[in-house]
Amino acid sequence: MCQCNCTGPKSDLSPLGSVLKEYGGVSSNLITILQKAQSIYGYLPKDVMYHIAENVGVTPAEVMGVSTFYSQFRLSPIGKYLIMSCQGTACHVNGSERVLNAISEYLGIGNGETTQDGLFTLEEVACLGCCSLAPVIMINGEAYGNLTPDSAVEVIKNIQKEEGK
Amino acid sequence: MRIVIGEGSCGIAAGAGKVHKAIESLMTENESFTLGTTGCIGMCFLEPIVDLYDGETLLRRLVKVKADDAENIVNAAKTGDLSLVDSITISADDEEFLSRQTRIALRHCGLIDPVSLDDYRESDGYEALEKVLKTMTPEEVIEEIKISGLAGRGGAGFPTWFKWNAARQSVSDVKYLICNADEGDPGAFMDRAVIESDPHTLIEGMLIGAYAIGAREMIVYVRAEYPLAITNLEIAIEQAKKANLLGENILGTSFSCDMRIKAGAGAFVCGEETALIESLEGKRGMPRLKPPFPAQKGYMDEPSNINNVETFANVAWIMNNGGAAFAAMGTENSKGTKVFALTGKIRKGGLVEIPMGKTLRDVIYGIGGGIRDDKEFKAVQMGGPSGGCIPKELLDTVIDYKALGATGAIMGSGGMVVMDESTCMVGMAKFFLDFTALESCGKCVHCRIGTRRMQEILTRIVKGEGKEGDIELLEELCEAVKDGALCGLGQTAPNPVLTTIRYFRNEYEAHIKDKKCPAKECVDLLTYSIVAEKCKGCTLCAKKCPAKAISGEVKKAHIIDSDICIRCGQCVNSCRFGAINVE
Amino acid sequence: MEQIKITVNGIEMTGNKGETILNIAAKNGVEIPNLCYSPNLKLYGACGLCLIEAEGMPKLMRACSAVANDGMVLSTETPRVKKARKIALELIMSDHEGDCVAPCSLNCPAHTDIQGYLKQIALGNDSEAVKIIKEKISIPASVGRICPHPCESNCRRRLVEEPLSIAFLKAFAADRDLESDNPFKADCEESTGKKVAVIGGGPAGLNAAYYLRLSGHDVTIYDAMPEMGGMLRYGIPEYRLPKNVLRKEVKAIADLGVKMINNTKIGKDISFDEIRNGADAVLVTVGAWKGSSVGCKGEDLEGVVSGIDFLREVNMGNIPDIGKNVAVVGGGNTAMDACRTAVRCGAENVYVIYRRTRAEAPAEDIEIEEAIEEGVQFLFLTNPDEIVGENGKVKEVRLQIMELGEPDASGRRKPVPVEGEFRTIAVDTVISAIGQKYAPAGFEAIGTTDRGTILADKVTCMTNIDGVFAAGDATNRGASIAIDAIAEANTAAKAINAYLLGMPMDFPEPYYSKRNVTAEMLADREKKARAVMPVKAPEYRKNNFESVINGFSEEQAREEAKRCLECGCHDFKDCKLIRYVNDAPVFPERLAGAKHECFKEQKLVTIERDQGKCILCNLCVRTCKENAGKGILGLVGRGFRTVIKPEFDNPETVAGCKDCNMCADLCPTGALKILR
Repeated sequence: MCQCNCTGPKSDLSPLGSVLKEYGGVSSNLITILQKAQSIYGYLPKDVMYHIAENVGVTPAEVMGVSTFYSQFRLSPIGKYLIMSCQGTACHVNGSERVLNAISEYLGIGNGETTQDGLFTLEEVACLGCCSLAPVIMINGEAYGNLTPDSAVEVIKNIQKEEGK
Repeated sequence: MRIVIGEGSCGIAAGAGKVHKAIESLMTENESFTLGTTGCIGMCFLEPIVDLYDGETLLRRLVKVKADDAENIVNAAKTGDLSLVDSITISADDEEFLSRQTRIALRHCGLIDPVSLDDYRESDGYEALEKVLKTMTPEEVIEEIKISGLAGRGGAGFPTWFKWNAARQSVSDVKYLICNADEGDPGAFMDRAVIESDPHTLIEGMLIGAYAIGAREMIVYVRAEYPLAITNLEIAIEQAKKANLLGENILGTSFSCDMRIKAGAGAFVCGEETALIESLEGKRGMPRLKPPFPAQKGYMDEPSNINNVETFANVAWIMNNGGAAFAAMGTENSKGTKVFALTGKIRKGGLVEIPMGKTLRDVIYGIGGGIRDDKEFKAVQMGGPSGGCIPKELLDTVIDYKALGATGAIMGSGGMVVMDESTCMVGMAKFFLDFTALESCGKCVHCRIGTRRMQEILTRIVKGEGKEGDIELLEELCEAVKDGALCGLGQTAPNPVLTTIRYFRNEYEAHIKDKKCPAKECVDLLTYSIVAEKCKGCTLCAKKCPAKAISGEVKKAHIIDSDICIRCGQCVNSCRFGAINVE
Repeated sequence: MEQIKITVNGIEMTGNKGETILNIAAKNGVEIPNLCYSPNLKLYGACGLCLIEAEGMPKLMRACSAVANDGMVLSTETPRVKKARKIALELIMSDHEGDCVAPCSLNCPAHTDIQGYLKQIALGNDSEAVKIIKEKISIPASVGRICPHPCESNCRRRLVEEPLSIAFLKAFAADRDLESDNPFKADCEESTGKKVAVIGGGPAGLNAAYYLRLSGHDVTIYDAMPEMGGMLRYGIPEYRLPKNVLRKEVKAIADLGVKMINNTKIGKDISFDEIRNGADAVLVTVGAWKGSSVGCKGEDLEGVVSGIDFLREVNMGNIPDIGKNVAVVGGGNTAMDACRTAVRCGAENVYVIYRRTRAEAPAEDIEIEEAIEEGVQFLFLTNPDEIVGENGKVKEVRLQIMELGEPDASGRRKPVPVEGEFRTIAVDTVISAIGQKYAPAGFEAIGTTDRGTILADKVTCMTNIDGVFAAGDATNRGASIAIDAIAEANTAAKAINAYLLGMPMDFPEPYYSKRNVTAEMLADREKKARAVMPVKAPEYRKNNFESVINGFSEEQAREEAKRCLECGCHDFKDCKLIRYVNDAPVFPERLAGAKHECFKEQKLVTIERDQGKCILCNLCVRTCKENAGKGILGLVGRGFRTVIKPEFDNPETVAGCKDCNMCADLCPTGALKILR
């Protein structure tokens, strides 16, 4: 039984079944399971982590330790659009900080935060590997390169337009 | 005719996918030409790249291709009239980017279809493996690697044969061969290119290594940020399994070996081998104390050998061509070739593979075409956050482990970030310390708090709040962190600071004493003003200024109120008369 | 088992093959500093304190994990190792937030263990409390009544509502102890055969004599007055400090074997040289007994006296004729003693002339308050311009009206005369209480400062004459409060003891970790008012010299002591970290920067966790898992922001934590506290 006493809404654990069937019961698979869980839920709900801890046979504290160690894991839901702002060296040299600040200012959110309408989450990430296009942001997997602060905000505005905001 | 589109991550980011779709949409059934994909050729500055082949002969290399070019390309392929694509054909000058290289690790990249086992086999693929399994003992393999002089390409440059031998000597029924593809160094992407563009080379290299040390299981630890690399490698592994290149009794021999992928989850420290092992075991990636070394007690406490992607990518070539051929290239202490990711303020950025022994000038000017926008070269950062910068005076430094080490930088995994006169070296040191401080696992005191304190001191210097004695304090901290940190991340974190102080001490002093940034990059130290004689009073800057710091009447010289100015630089960008002065 | 030999810091030692350097050294009595090592846990290697240098090895090694090889020559004290260790400690301390010692104690000049004795008072152990107090203050019943208590000004409880009544609690415990059948008596060390002469039996002299006697020396106090106690006996009025209390405390010191010789003035009854020649060390604690004059015209008239002379007369039992109208000049505690004593001597109109306002007055506010209650009239913003006489005797004082100008060097606004505005009051006596000076007569051989005080070394209290020490009001900065004199005397006693035993006389200031606490951080504390000391009614008390205060009731005192927030670290005495820090020594301020998340919480059943003090050695996490088999604690986050938390920070889910306390037992700092 899950020992989570949190009062929040309970997650539906059934989609996790197939993941645990393939990887469960083995503590060295913890990171893989958490990755799969995150792709199911969009983040790692507490009760899901308790469930996983019990399944792989490590303590909840260890799962918490792992999920807060790696920058990939998120403990709260993200927006519909995940904006990853590359802070690699090439992007840095080419002005990524100004691009990031422009987006951050425009949306009113900082690193790791989500806009109130739940549309955008902003994340600073290590090198995305598109160094020749620096500075680069990636939104839901699509890369936008050679940005200026203005053109980056323009990209966001276009998405907002599409969303009817 | 064959149309082949380069669809590595870089190419896709530049729009190769759109080009692909555009060409595909113009193709009819039973088209006279074929459309294929390849990986990354490494000419990032020319992406997207489309190659036109006749059989195996490259007819044209088309660069910076847009979806709009699809019609011309298709027509050229149909008609054979290559003049249709003259305007997007690579220049002779740019072709030299490739022709001046010697490619071993990258030998198939951008030439074959990454997910075609046939393509790989047609390019001598798996011949080395067959030769090794059928004609050589593990000891002979290690001997051949020893002859080749191959050293770890991940950064440390430790002789590969020595590690293999140590793992071979460890007595255990279970051993692991692990590939470190957690390429976290911001500004290095050669490992990604190899896995994306030539995954079978990695599999073959690893299999030879596994045979040499006696491992039956291989694990590739890849950054999760490399989805295409993971996908292509997954496909290649499936192909290899089906072709009896992985699994039981490989190629009919008694050698059996399996392979799997573990995706990292975002922690630079996992590039350190003991942290990587912790992570593989599903734990927080915090380095272990050494001894015991992984060759004695590694993954699951069993003997384990860990090598970097590029190291493995050389192995099949060495077995095919002999260790001596590899050792014939390079210098006394550094053999073979090395791949560099050339980025920054360089005219032609991308992947460069050259024999050891060339100079930095050969790479930056000979291949990279020098500095962008005709600016002055200032320094090159080698080895990312673990490395150091090398100044203009040392451009003729020979690329080998010893010579680079003597400059205070390192060979590293091959990140080569070029900086020009407009790059602030203190800011650069701060950038790397921001990175290492953020990526420190937090286990040992020297790294957890030491890098943070260094970062704080650098931050106050670039903000103009530096104090007398800060340089000396930084140097003292650097030495202590180098001595006291538990793992490679911490021990090398001070390098960018130490080398920038060593070569650009005057820049530090200018920030601290004069409160000036000589490169005019540190915004807190800049003053914006309008040169009255040049200002035409067009009011554009005043309109652009987000802080409303610029005022003035139309057709009269404007002024900037420096108390309100937020130093964003928008006015400079908007002014067509060069009337805005920054100091 | 195969034996190997290694050398650590020049000491040859043997160990088993395969053993770590740290273990072999420990077995051979050499402690290699470490904060994250435990023999019962897997190796971790975080703290970096066990770094050690081996001959012929380019890199430093971690002794906790490095396996010793036969013939290794190792050192923990090379400059490189010491530097690495020093910086490791500085880094740890720069990210360590906690109070080693409570702010009350740090701000007490004598650094009395206030938290320690308050706890004993709260528990009802007065004798135990006195034992703790007497580690620093030999005459607590006296000091507790008269101390201006800088401790209370810094008591953190003031951020909740009001500071604790620390001084009176001290007096309470000391009174109870004195009245008890078996008052606390410290043990003296075996006799050293060394003779110490203490000149001046005031608070400094008494205190130094006490501790020198405890150290086994043969101590004699010489004093010019008929009784011991100095200013406590002849300066402080009876109504503040009943002399019987002081007598009892002096007697307790005499009972330890301190010889006391009264009525002996240096230079008159005995020469300084004679005393010097008859002792192995001399301590001069003669105080500052010469009052400063008013400094205006008419100051030589009959009826103009110094405050200190006036108070001494009264304390000797003589009631001087001061007339009906008395002016006291000054705003300090001596002025308050003088004006209130004047009231008790029968004066009808007592004025206090002070050139600034009440807010700037150095006197304790309660003294001003009580003086007003007793009818004293305060003439703030006035300054004597001229004392006008008639037939050579004081008749009136002309006062210059003042106003406050710009702040001066002391930060107080400087009083400036209001041009042409004066006021005249008729008086019979003018008492000048504006300062006291050291009188060097008889001590001409001892070097002085520019200010005319005895020049004594700040660290050792030694004067220009070898073996002659000085402390208290007579030295360096001049007259101050009793507890300052006592603190200096403690230092002098320590130095004299070292001098006599031929030990080094350097006493480095210990390093303490300090926490910045704000009122918001204490917002959750239950408010509980400060105990009010019962006092006699002004109408009653102004006519006699009876003690103004009646003393706390027992219940009052116990409850008041319980208000203590226990700011000082419970683990201070056993803290490994602070021990290493003070061995190093370190200067973490130069590496000051951001700190990790610091908070206190009680989520485990019997453990309070103070995240600010946590140094991430991870011993608690490891023992919880490896030894207790629970794994309730874990690391959360990465890098600098890493903290240790119970699973999901959830109090209900950590019910599995019983009370094995293994984590707290292993914690090398005070981050984990067992609540009983």
